[in-house]
Amino acid sequence: MKLAIDETRCKGCNLCTKVCPYKIFKEGKRPNRKGIVVPELDRPERCTNCRLRNLYGRQLCGVCQLTCPDQAIHWTEEEPYEPHKVAIEY
Amino acid sequence: MSFDDWYRQDRLPHIYCAGCGNGTIINCTLAAIDQMGWKKEETVFVSGIGCSSRAPGYILTDSLHTTHGRALAFATGVKMANRDLHVVVFTGDGDLAAIGGNHFIHACRRNIDITVVCMNNQIYGMTGGQGSPTTPKGCLSSTTPYGCTETPFDLCELATAAGANYVARWTSYHVKELEKAVKVGLETPGFSFIEALVQCPTAFGRRNKFRQVADHVEYLKVHSLLRAKRDRMLEAGEHIPEDMFVVGELTRRNRPAMGVKP
Ligand SMILES: Cc1ncc(C[n+]2csc(CCOP(=O)(O)OP(=O)(O)O)c2C)c(N)n1
Ligand code: SF4
Ligand code: SF4
Ligand code: SF4
Ligand SMILES: [Mg+2]
Repeated sequence: MKLAIDETRCKGCNLCTKVCPYKIFKEGKRPNRKGIVVPELDRPERCTNCRLRNLYGRQLCGVCQLTCPDQAIHWTEEEPYEPHKVAIEY
Repeated sequence: MSFDDWYRQDRLPHIYCAGCGNGTIINCTLAAIDQMGWKKEETVFVSGIGCSSRAPGYILTDSLHTTHGRALAFATGVKMANRDLHVVVFTGDGDLAAIGGNHFIHACRRNIDITVVCMNNQIYGMTGGQGSPTTPKGCLSSTTPYGCTETPFDLCELATAAGANYVARWTSYHVKELEKAVKVGLETPGFSFIEALVQCPTAFGRRNKFRQVADHVEYLKVHSLLRAKRDRMLEAGEHIPEDMFVVGELTRRNRPAMGVKP
């Protein structure tokens, strides 16, 4: 699963930066089109739910999503992993 | 299914200020309701007036957004007219304990089978930050510019004394605990009261030295005293600091209830 912040909903309160045990949310630096400084994601693939949701078949952790007062945090399904042939150029 | 399926997506983002704790409490309540397996057609949300009371407007089910302080009176009517409905009330500290105080104690006394979630931001948020019956001593509000000198209500003790079957208190920091408490409240026949202390950055935090939303949430976290720890401290005769509040399940009993589905 892929973690994402919905920029149309986030109001930049930064509560997610406080509650995630992995500190995946970092305070943002630049305001977006609406003038809101949306947090940035630091290596979101570390998130428990990203890694194990499909294995366990249920929501895991989810503290950030419950806490986000603006219902801006969600997960999307990722494309299945496709092995690529890596051509090494000498 | 997740709690998000209960939201009226076309109404989001909601009107609450950035960092307002009300959104968190709605998430937790809907997450608990989602686990109950209730049908949307059999679930009704009722509220009065206030920022907190706007919650039902963002939820897909039928709802009643009533007059200030009267949510419990309307909810009692809904439940008594049709016991098959699951009735959940969203209310604020002003709505529940000031203008609606009398309805509150009598709904507890009747032990009517509804679940009440009170978003206690310790202020009248919607009208610009007047002091409420739960504003702590010393706190600044537009009606207590030199600090509140009155003793606040302890809503949970009030509900317990008046007869509610289930009473619990958590904060906007304790999302998982709150979700569980609401779920137990929904399962318990009779009146269930869940108080959620929340931050109101606009009307309360701004005046009371919480510059960042997270500072207020941190305050709620460190001033929470788990019930088990409070009991141990009382047993040992230790002093409980005045600025701490007890969190956890405070009352659970089985008094005769009204309006329970036969
Ligand atoms: C009969 C009546 N009296 C007063 C008001 C004005 N009023 C609107 S909201 C409110 C206070 C709300 O406080 P609370 O219930 O704590 O909700 P919050 O906005 O803090 O969530 C008041 C006094 C009203 N709408 N109706
Ligand atoms: S908690 Fe939600 S609204 Fe607040 S900054 Fe994070 S994503 Fe945005
Ligand atoms: S689900 Fe838990 S681990 Fe994953 S981002 Fe949210 S708070 Fe962090
Ligand atoms: S005034 Fe306070 S309670 Fe009302 S929406 Fe703003 S932060 Fe929330
Ligand atoms: Mg209030």
